[in-house]
Amino acid sequence: MMESLLVPFQYEYMVKAILLSGLIGAVCAFLSCFITLKGWSLMGDALSHAIVPGVAVASILGLPFSLGAFVAGLLAAVGMGWVKHRSRLREDAVIGVVFTTWFALGVLLLSVFPSSINLRTIIFGNILGISDQDIIQVICIAGLSLGVLLVKWRDLLVYCFDASHARSLGMNTTFLHFLLLALLSATAVAAMQTVGAVLVVAMLVTPGATAYLLTDRFGRMILLATGMGLFCGIAGAYASYFLDGSTGGCIVVLQTVLFLLALVLAPKHGLLAARTRRREARAVAGALAPSTAKGSQPPSSSISA
Amino acid sequence: MSDASTPLSIEVTDVTVAYTNGNVALRDTTFSLHSGTVCALVGVNGSGKSTLFKVIMGFLKPAKGTVRIGGRPVKEAQKRNLVAYVPQSEEVDWTFPVSVWDVVMMGRYGSMNFLRIPREEDRRIVRESLERVGMSEYKDRQIGELSGGQKKRVFLARALAQRGRIMLLDEPFTGVDVKTETAIIDLLEELREDGHIILVSTHNLGSVPEFCDRVVLVNRTVLASGPTAQIFTEENLAKAFGGVLRHFKFDHTDLPGSARNEVLLLSDDERPLLLGQDGAPKRSGVGTKTGPLVEDSRK
Repeated sequence: MMESLLVPFQYEYMVKAILLSGLIGAVCAFLSCFITLKGWSLMGDALSHAIVPGVAVASILGLPFSLGAFVAGLLAAVGMGWVKHRSRLREDAVIGVVFTTWFALGVLLLSVFPSSINLRTIIFGNILGISDQDIIQVICIAGLSLGVLLVKWRDLLVYCFDASHARSLGMNTTFLHFLLLALLSATAVAAMQTVGAVLVVAMLVTPGATAYLLTDRFGRMILLATGMGLFCGIAGAYASYFLDGSTGGCIVVLQTVLFLLALVLAPKHGLLAARTRRREARAVAGALAPSTAKGSQPPSSSISA
Repeated sequence: MSDASTPLSIEVTDVTVAYTNGNVALRDTTFSLHSGTVCALVGVNGSGKSTLFKVIMGFLKPAKGTVRIGGRPVKEAQKRNLVAYVPQSEEVDWTFPVSVWDVVMMGRYGSMNFLRIPREEDRRIVRESLERVGMSEYKDRQIGELSGGQKKRVFLARALAQRGRIMLLDEPFTGVDVKTETAIIDLLEELREDGHIILVSTHNLGSVPEFCDRVVLVNRTVLASGPTAQIFTEENLAKAFGGVLRHFKFDHTDLPGSARNEVLLLSDDERPLLLGQDGAPKRSGVGTKTGPLVEDSRK
């Protein structure tokens, strides 16, 4: 029994996949705290699709894929900002138009100019067949992103919470805005290798959303999310060996399971806790004035005066 | 940082602000404030109050004119953490996972090193600031769990922790209980004694003479500015509020032969409740059956 559980570790490609998935999962999860609080989930989805043409162009020209992807992601982000600023469209419409255009461009390029990278790899990821050269790129991106996050997380927090205050402190909020966009593009590039462009957004949103349900402190939220990203990356890649299924699929399904658990069971913001509070409120209201039972209170405002 | 010896001032000279869509929010705006003042910024919604705040904080660049703080450009004042801002409650995401302590500590970030790791002095200042607004016992609460008045006091504490000698408060009395309102007013008076410049945007006309020594009346430009007693006149307010302002004249004259004793009530968008001699509510404040006890002349 024990021996069969250790089988995946006998294959070098599995060990690489497990470690790399854990690293990418952790970095994406760290960033996901900012993405969920800033309300950039849709932006994350958009950028993860928008990097595809960059990968295509890079592979056609024989450049490192991450460089192309990163540039394409930033161009898309700047493009969205520009269209939003100049037109009367709402942000979601702008994001929808720009990112599908970018993605379509990538699909078109890859189908017209067949190259070493195939479309399937980009869209669904292929961590098991990742080349050593790509591993180095991914480690560099993940390490750099993690380093920047560790140094700048407090600044990014103030910026996400109250941009006006950040400015009054003399912080360069334009810089912080683009830093967050750059981090988003960079981690999307790294995550694309593991779970593919389509599922990147899950890595960039789910851990943050889960942790947000579990705590009211930002520091703890980062720790919980990062731990969860690390665990799901490792466990998902490991499980995919036995299921003989897609690594990306395993990782994201595992994250979703944890999210659902938190949604129902979270001590304060979970559905069960909210129901208990509603019941208690009803009981109290009933005891005080049986004729005018007040019914339910919104869960989050139960303490406010 | 903010050394108390340098004379403090805000000088807005001939400022015109236009938005990218071509709307001119402020035109040829000029006024100045000096150390040790609580000044009300009064005007209707959309009169350019928030635009003026943004210009003073350096978020918006005027198309024309200059803003100088302590005789220097706004950028420098920002770097020296001179200007603190207390936002309106609607501008803040109250579900954010931060505690009262975290928010007030954010006021200290400008004076920390680039890793923003608090030193003992920062913690001491945060403790003092929380004490000063009477919020020490709530320091571990998540900010969404506070009442309207408590929320406002947390952001005041953050401004205190920032040690900005110029403070901009955006509608500090909306959604706030009377106790908090008095506490805020007391605090602002203390800060004035310390030589701060406090600029308060408000449409709460009644409280202005109580705690503001100066007034700036705005409507797309500065209509009038100066000491409250000179500026806060019926004529000026009518100019600033136009048709929005309600006038209610109360006649308290006891005998037909005695000197007239009239009280004039001015109010902007909030409708005061008026009861007639018989105790019945009066619709739109205009006396009908019982005669013109109250005259509503909307100009």
